[in-house]
Amino acid sequence: MKPRVAFFDFTGCEGCQLEVLNFNLEIVDLIGAVDIVEFREASSDHSEEYDIAFIEGSQTTQKDVERVQKIREKAGILVALGACSCTGGVNALKNRFPMEENLKVVYGDAAKYYTTIPTRPTSAYVKVDVHLHGCPPNRNEVISLVKCLLTGKKFELCHNPVCVECKLAENVCAFERGEFCLGPVTRGGCNAVCVTAGRKCWGCRAPVDEPNINSEKELLAKYGLTVDDVLNQFKLFNGALEVSK
Amino acid sequence: MQNQVISKKDLAGFVDELIKSKAAGEVIGIKTQGNKFNFGSLKSAAELRLDYDISLLPPKKYFFPQTETVLKYEAGANPRVEPVVEEKSMCIIGVHPFDIRGILLFDAVYGGNNPDPNYFLKRNNTVIIGVDCLKPNPKAFAASMGTAATDEGFDLMLTDIGDSYFVTVGTTKGENLLKKHAKAKDAKGGDLEKRDKARNDALKNYKVSLKMKPEEIPALLDANWESKVFHDKSETCFSCGSCVMVCPTCVCFDVQDDMALSLKGGERYRRWDGCMLTEFAKVASGENFREHKEQRFRHRMYRKGKYLVERYKYLGCVGCGRCATHCLAEIASPAETFNLIKEAK
Repeated sequence: MKPRVAFFDFTGCEGCQLEVLNFNLEIVDLIGAVDIVEFREASSDHSEEYDIAFIEGSQTTQKDVERVQKIREKAGILVALGACSCTGGVNALKNRFPMEENLKVVYGDAAKYYTTIPTRPTSAYVKVDVHLHGCPPNRNEVISLVKCLLTGKKFELCHNPVCVECKLAENVCAFERGEFCLGPVTRGGCNAVCVTAGRKCWGCRAPVDEPNINSEKELLAKYGLTVDDVLNQFKLFNGALEVSK
Repeated sequence: MQNQVISKKDLAGFVDELIKSKAAGEVIGIKTQGNKFNFGSLKSAAELRLDYDISLLPPKKYFFPQTETVLKYEAGANPRVEPVVEEKSMCIIGVHPFDIRGILLFDAVYGGNNPDPNYFLKRNNTVIIGVDCLKPNPKAFAASMGTAATDEGFDLMLTDIGDSYFVTVGTTKGENLLKKHAKAKDAKGGDLEKRDKARNDALKNYKVSLKMKPEEIPALLDANWESKVFHDKSETCFSCGSCVMVCPTCVCFDVQDDMALSLKGGERYRRWDGCMLTEFAKVASGENFREHKEQRFRHRMYRKGKYLVERYKYLGCVGCGRCATHCLAEIASPAETFNLIKEAK
């Protein structure tokens, strides 16, 4: 029997699911290799039975927490898909303000009908077997994980900082272009897509295993940023993590 | 072989003729990329910039691509494995002497008793037209490494002597290309002196220098395994691998198998890898032989200054300055580390 795969969305922009749909021809191979039993963005099918659960988005209400815990009970393997699920992502920006204020800003007079809790990574509530980082995650990495699950091979996250992939892509360093880049402390695996496109790295794939955060702060300061500026660089995607403190 | 002189205009004509005739395969040269320089395919001689300091990546990428498929396989009841080897003819224009020294080291490492076919089917079909580096990078130290000039490893070597280039002819292949496709003249009395003066003047433009003879480095390292310099310098290291990725003498790669989603087969590829990355010395059991950045930093310096020269007779550093230019923590320059160790003695 083919493994049954389900995608579940929580708080996020659903761009991670969209990225999976953007696989082009590989989506055909993917459908051949696994049974996709739940995927709201692509199909109206529902299923309570699945082997592999992909969690997209972060949990920002108590209801979300209970839902993800139920999914964990049923899933053999639970994968955090994308920045929001892996680190809290952009959603964690709201943690900098009181929750009541967030509700008022977003819902105005209707705020009384809603509740919200600070954003945490999915791993704060349930055991996560694999983290697929990124905003959005890299499609090749998603496919690579599926292949590992199918063949029983151990899935290895990329351990290199983004700098390696920038060098392989023959990019002019973002710092040389006058940008402030988080590439030296951010996990690669994205083929340095943002820097290659002429931008800089914002750290959406979370820090590497041994980020030299002190060195990065010194580096950003050397290029003229204040401590607050530096922390703001980290907070966009990694606000719920220690590096931003 | 008689050395030649070619006017700058006629050199452009020669390059355009090589591009048009494909007499030496794809023509590759130094072009601008943003405010930097890099090797790339040439569409016209007008793109060629021979007055550069260093390229982003060294020319090794043409013999040893960043990622390269080395075999394809079919799985199942009748498994099959087939090597994948790409052969390619090229002419690379504008290789600096220190980068040629890097290529000579590569030839030694990838050759020997078990030559690497993927490397040599490209390398042996490549014409190298070098150019002396007259405006070195501010972090370069090739002058004191003895790598600012070279007598070997090129087919033709150009030296800017004002209105024209002096052409040192290195091989018959280079000589024939020149005869057939260029309007060059035999070098006359005084031309050779002009070349040597240009080379000697360039030596004075190097800002960084090694404060010892390069031959002294292995013994210096031998006596200083415990040096505090390794610890102090590596404190700010990002383990980002930039220094090893841009190095013309870094020869290492990682090998991975990639099964297709159909699970019917796949391919094996190799990709550049380097000893400054955290996982480089990690083995299957999970043990990491160089877990700390100080160990990795020391290993890189020993490899540059001792291990490679003992095994292959070429020093593992040619003084191009790429690592020092790309290192955001500003700790990567081997000359700086060797000098610090010597001064601390």
